[in-house]
Amino acid sequence: MIIAERRPLSEILENIKPYKRILVLGCRGCVAVCSAGGDREVAILAEAIRLARSRNGDEVEVLERTFIRQCDPEYLVPLKALKKEVEAVLSLACGVGVNLIADLYPDVRVYPGVDTTFYGANVALGEWVEKCRGCGDCIIDRTAGLCPIARCAKNLLNGPCGGSQGGRCEVRKDMPCIWHEIIERLKRRGELEKLLEIWSPKDWRLAGGEGLRVRVREDLKA
Amino acid sequence: MENSIKIVLLCCNYTNLIEGEDVREILGRLEIWRFPCSGQIEITDMLRAFRMGADGVLVAGCTRGACHNGRGSERAERRVLGARKILEEIGIPMDSLEFVYVNRLDGGDFVSKAKAFYGKILGQKLEERRR
Repeated sequence: MIIAERRPLSEILENIKPYKRILVLGCRGCVAVCSAGGDREVAILAEAIRLARSRNGDEVEVLERTFIRQCDPEYLVPLKALKKEVEAVLSLACGVGVNLIADLYPDVRVYPGVDTTFYGANVALGEWVEKCRGCGDCIIDRTAGLCPIARCAKNLLNGPCGGSQGGRCEVRKDMPCIWHEIIERLKRRGELEKLLEIWSPKDWRLAGGEGLRVRVREDLKA
Repeated sequence: MENSIKIVLLCCNYTNLIEGEDVREILGRLEIWRFPCSGQIEITDMLRAFRMGADGVLVAGCTRGACHNGRGSERAERRVLGARKILEEIGIPMDSLEFVYVNRLDGGDFVSKAKAFYGKILGQKLEERRR
């Protein structure tokens, strides 16, 4: 899922400073699952804003809503009516949601309430770890399902660097060396020879090197 | 003689049976907000208490293992940590919000912890005034 984290309150408060009536808009997609922008986080942030503003004697009316998703135009439709009730929208969706609101509702002053950070998995309660970088040219079929682009601090494609010690990363000692894990896993499977294959160069254009990435499925288009 | 300090106690309905009279030695204004379980006390409740004028907020839960709902008080303890981070960002002293485990149905334990917390907030306010 897309992982996000609430932005510092000072930045949020600065962005909404001119407004007396705002909407804190959550999303029940990825940001709800990673506890950054779902219903509960909407309620907490709205109350934090009210408290911070009331301490400055600058009361603000904060509406609270959460949409099923903010990355699909159809789920944003209620904003057509809501936007008339508020001066600004503070979106707790990932950057995709904020951008889509800005695209579809240019008259809405929309501000991000979270920083969108990475694609990760929920490995333990309250802990999310990056697993994929969305580079667009997947190589994990050759690396036992473990991605060295996202999980190697140096994004190496040809085995561990000289700094890997005892299976730990030299850049982040608290992280395993993913190349160490790839090799150990392939060894156990008897597939280590896979690494002797010469790979064709990775196509980095698909990682965004040619600007905006677009996916089209003609069979689904209206 | 009442002073202007306001303390809000957020607690589970079963944690204690204390009433205002039990804590009459606390000279500030005291409000007790009861919930079905301390696990139901949300960060928003803690922040709201401050917005409604509290100088200090004490969240109380039943001691570990004594919560009717299993781990409600442990949840409340964690939420206090989350709320304290927000208070810090707003510029409210983090220790204006505290969590305590109290013996179930033992009013004495709760009263003594509430008094100690009041004393701490009073000290905090006097210090602010001195500055």
